[in-house]
Amino acid sequence: MIKVDVNKCLGCFSCSNVCPSQNITRTETPETRSVHWKKCKEECDLCVEFCPAKALTLVPFDEGSPETTVTYDLMACKICGERYATEPMLKRIESSLPENLQKDSTGLDWIWICPVCRRNIEAERATKQMVLGRTRKSP
Amino acid sequence: MPVYVDISRCIGCRSCEVACKRVHGGKGHVNVHMAGDHASVPVFCHHCEEATCTMACFTGALYKDGERTAFDVEKCTGCGLCRLACPFGVVWSDKIAHKCDLCAGRETPTCILSCPANALSTDFELASRRARTRAAMAAAHGGRR
Repeated sequence: MIKVDVNKCLGCFSCSNVCPSQNITRTETPETRSVHWKKCKEECDLCVEFCPAKALTLVPFDEGSPETTVTYDLMACKICGERYATEPMLKRIESSLPENLQKDSTGLDWIWICPVCRRNIEAERATKQMVLGRTRKSP
Repeated sequence: MPVYVDISRCIGCRSCEVACKRVHGGKGHVNVHMAGDHASVPVFCHHCEEATCTMACFTGALYKDGERTAFDVEKCTGCGLCRLACPFGVVWSDKIAHKCDLCAGRETPTCILSCPANALSTDFELASRRARTRAAMAAAHGGRR
């Protein structure tokens, strides 16, 4: 049976993806995501092995123990407000990257911005000079 | 050897986007963005030297292979950390990660071959060489570049 350390769990769905017996289920809404671990009798430790946070351990099967569910409110993008990731995942990214890579050339904290806004910023940066040139009135 | 864009040539037709989806089973890695009415640019993987996606990947599914930021689908668990670790928002994941592989197995990335405006290439210098040529032509003939 799987024991979950809810304080370590990132809410990433890695365990749910690798589980061969559909014993770890996921629920997603625009604002939240939940992971639910069913009581599992399999002698399999794929989820334990592939948990990025080492939040899972195998313990002997116990009929009486309750099933675990973890629910996360998704973090809102600092620019558009779209909810895009769990807070522990973003904190994990912060801790796994060197500090000098966490801000872009303009000092922007891009980790706390959703991927769509990151692409928009990149597109604007890339085209800025050219748009200026194209909108300039001819002499 | 990432794919470079000569932005002044991009016509915003999304051919690269479609071509990428076609060769990657519907899971494309290129997003063409419009900058108002004046410009468009495909945003795709930079194959960063210090690739933050590889630093966030805990299984080693994303790794540096020379200049390329490569992806080993066998090792991916679909945790989605790479999606959040990409500063340009070009890596994404459903049950596995999806990112530019520079069309592994093909001689030239398909986006480059399909661009009708010849805006894409693997030659970093191409865009600036073309700009210099245009400037020289303008100087020789007079008038606006």
